[in-house]
Amino acid sequence: MLDSIITPDLFAAAIRIATPLALAAIGGTICERSGVVNIALEGIMLTGAFFGTAVVLATGEPWLGVIAAVVAGISISAVHAFASINLRSDQTVSGTAINLLALGVTGFLMKLWYGHPGTTDQIKTLGSVFNFEAPGGGVLAEVWRWVNAILFTHSPIVYLAIIIAIVAQWAVFKTRWGLRLRALGEHPRAVDTVGVNVARGRWIAVLMSGALAGLAGANLTIEQVGSFTENMTNGRGFIALAANIFGRWTPIGSYLASLLFGFADALQIKLQILRGVINVPPQFFQMLPYILTVVVVAGVIGRAVAPAASGVPYRKD
Amino acid sequence: MAVLELRDVTKVFPGVVANDRVSFSLEKGEILALLGENGAGKSTIMNVVYGLLSSDGGEILIDGEPVNMRSPRQAIDLGIGMVHQHFMLIEPLTVTENIVLGREPGRLGVIDFALARTRVVELSERYGLKVDPDAKIADLAVGMQQRVEILKALYQGARVLILDEPTAVLTPQEVRELFAVIRSLVDEGLSVVFITHKLEEVMAVSDRIIVMRAGRVVGETRPEETDDVGLARMMVGRDVVLRVEKPPSTCGDTVLAVKDLHVMGDRGLEAVAGVSFTVCAGEVVAVAGVSGNGQTELIESIVGLRKPTSGTVHLKDIDITHAGPRKSIEAGVSHIPEDRHRRGLVLQFDIAENLVLGDHRLPPYAKNGIMKPKVIAEMAEKRIADYDVRTPSVSVLAGNLSGGNQQKLVVAREIGREPMLLIAAQPTRGLDVGAIEFVHREVLAERARGRAVLLVSLELEEILSLADRVLVMYEGRIVRELSAEEADAETLGYYMTGGGGDKLAADGVVPVMGGQQ
Ligand SMILES: Nc1ncnc2c1ncn2[C@@H]1O[C@H](COP(=O)(O)OP(=O)(O)OP(=O)(O)O)[C@@H](O)[C@H]1O
Ligand SMILES: [Mg+2]
Repeated sequence: MLDSIITPDLFAAAIRIATPLALAAIGGTICERSGVVNIALEGIMLTGAFFGTAVVLATGEPWLGVIAAVVAGISISAVHAFASINLRSDQTVSGTAINLLALGVTGFLMKLWYGHPGTTDQIKTLGSVFNFEAPGGGVLAEVWRWVNAILFTHSPIVYLAIIIAIVAQWAVFKTRWGLRLRALGEHPRAVDTVGVNVARGRWIAVLMSGALAGLAGANLTIEQVGSFTENMTNGRGFIALAANIFGRWTPIGSYLASLLFGFADALQIKLQILRGVINVPPQFFQMLPYILTVVVVAGVIGRAVAPAASGVPYRKD
Repeated sequence: MAVLELRDVTKVFPGVVANDRVSFSLEKGEILALLGENGAGKSTIMNVVYGLLSSDGGEILIDGEPVNMRSPRQAIDLGIGMVHQHFMLIEPLTVTENIVLGREPGRLGVIDFALARTRVVELSERYGLKVDPDAKIADLAVGMQQRVEILKALYQGARVLILDEPTAVLTPQEVRELFAVIRSLVDEGLSVVFITHKLEEVMAVSDRIIVMRAGRVVGETRPEETDDVGLARMMVGRDVVLRVEKPPSTCGDTVLAVKDLHVMGDRGLEAVAGVSFTVCAGEVVAVAGVSGNGQTELIESIVGLRKPTSGTVHLKDIDITHAGPRKSIEAGVSHIPEDRHRRGLVLQFDIAENLVLGDHRLPPYAKNGIMKPKVIAEMAEKRIADYDVRTPSVSVLAGNLSGGNQQKLVVAREIGREPMLLIAAQPTRGLDVGAIEFVHREVLAERARGRAVLLVSLELEEILSLADRVLVMYEGRIVRELSAEEADAETLGYYMTGGGGDKLAADGVVPVMGGQQ
């Protein structure tokens, strides 16, 4: 029983499932570090997923779809940036509005362009980057089989996400941009007094989070599912927010937290085979990752310290 | 030629003319003191010069050239540096990161942290401003944070340094060091604008003095042409009593009893190491000490903001050792915290909301959990009139008040609550001489009403004029207790800096109350 649950593809699935969460969570991290809370990650991801699919349907080019998803993510996050930075509106309200807007617009365009609600046609997807041969027998070969299955069976954005996590971590803590970003979310007035433009810094951060959440959407459709379904993000944007908190507002932390959620989800899928043995509804297992989210967030939220000025609009006078 | 000149600069906020045609100039190598009541417009005019606020009229000239100051970036590029009244430091970042922020050394956007650190060390050695470049701001005492602010301005290449109440948070020793730094800066050709409420500092350090009142420049003088009484009159427009009279105390029941209190500091070291004392009704007990000797932690543990590791705190016969802030307030403890921004006010709340904070759940301000805005507004109106908080209305955000008026707000709330025990940490920080006189009178009035007052102050002057008894704290212990008659600046200074510990031991004298056990 156990060895049909603990298999290499359980871990591979964990990494796969973690990818869109991690990309969005890193976006959320960057955004909050600048002092803007982005609960619109869910809607941005959905927008990216839709436009990515639409472009692949139109052109047949998966990579063009990825670019389109990123551009769409940036565009819709600009709405959030404008509302929360320039208009200084409540960031939760603006984020929620974008989530609802994304749901409505993608659903509407589905009908308009494809004539039906629900799911689009299948698109050409991006497949595995590597394709290593499995050698013959022996213990070493067994180890290799595991390593290969876990690490070398993934599509490009999965690897890109890992690279982004590492690069973003470095950038946040070692570069000029990163220092200013961290300062912005703590004390924007202090940043203003040393002659750094607060609004511009926050705009850039929000747009970056849009790009990353858009990329997360591309991963969902162009790499994982191969089609777009209405509301297919299904709360991933919110789990990403939790991962961002659990990861203590650091890119690598966000990635690892996403990996935990990815693992929980992969496990619940596996556990569904138990349904033949004990009689529980599948929803029970599907609940697990969300319960984990609640537990994790409740457990760390008291201790993790959010950027001090996160969510607070900055006004000069 | 003047390095900085203001011509008829005007700044209007909704309901207030903060600066009304302000004109003055600053010569090269000059130390100009800017003096004025709380809310006179000193910070505002300097923020206009620094490009943080836009002016509504008038002209600013740098080296004789008119400039249109639009942003701090521009001000910095023109050689203007400013240390703000409320520090502009980012607490979770290090000293080095704070100093180089905005002008980080490095290539292609990658910060060269080693070079940044070297530059900070060089600068700090050159001007005698010792700091630990790797320390986090949050771990530094205010005096140290002050140095970081000055270094930041120097790092940015300031030729004109504006210091907005730099000494409000410093000990006398630190003030002397700061003055030495200022003089060496001036020797290097910098020019300094120095805002303060402390008249003896103005007399000691400035070359020229500009006095402001209600947004206008009302006078100009030189230290050799005036004295502190004259300056006070110029500022406030009336004669000010610089030291209030106090009748002898009538010590009643014990109100506060602290017994063998041990408290941990933020850095995991024991900050309060076994302190015991009492305060009785109708008595002002002062805790004197150089900042960072455990006073903050002592106060925080008495008011329930910090958990003591052992020992007890009693209010009358209630044990409030583990009460927490809410229960402690309900038991009758008021607290004027030393840092008004961190602990005293919610800057985004308006004046009325800030004044009711802590009592907002209780009648008459609330009924069945619903606040009564009308009652609260009436109370707020009364308090701002009593305490002379300068504001157009009680619905102004606390963050928009001048620094001194923010302080008055905290004092008004905490004394207005009519507590059994008033704990006042730096109650007159940033207040003008008139307001200090008023607060001192209020504290003594509380004492006359039979309330207990525990005062923590870095101002020896304040301690000497208010205290019936003085406890000197050094390295987490009370090393000496002095009566009002025994206490004078010199004796206090001696024990505050650790003097007497050895001598007392050699004489076989055991330091009073909770000292070394
Ligand atoms: N951002 C703001 N919005 C509205 N009013 C303001 C703002 N900043 C300052 N004021 C008002 O302008 C006036 C001058 O304030 P300012 O801070 O310049 O006084 P100050 O002389 O520095 O006083 P203090 O000695 O108390 O620091 C005050 O009445 C204050 O309430
Ligand atoms: Mg001021």
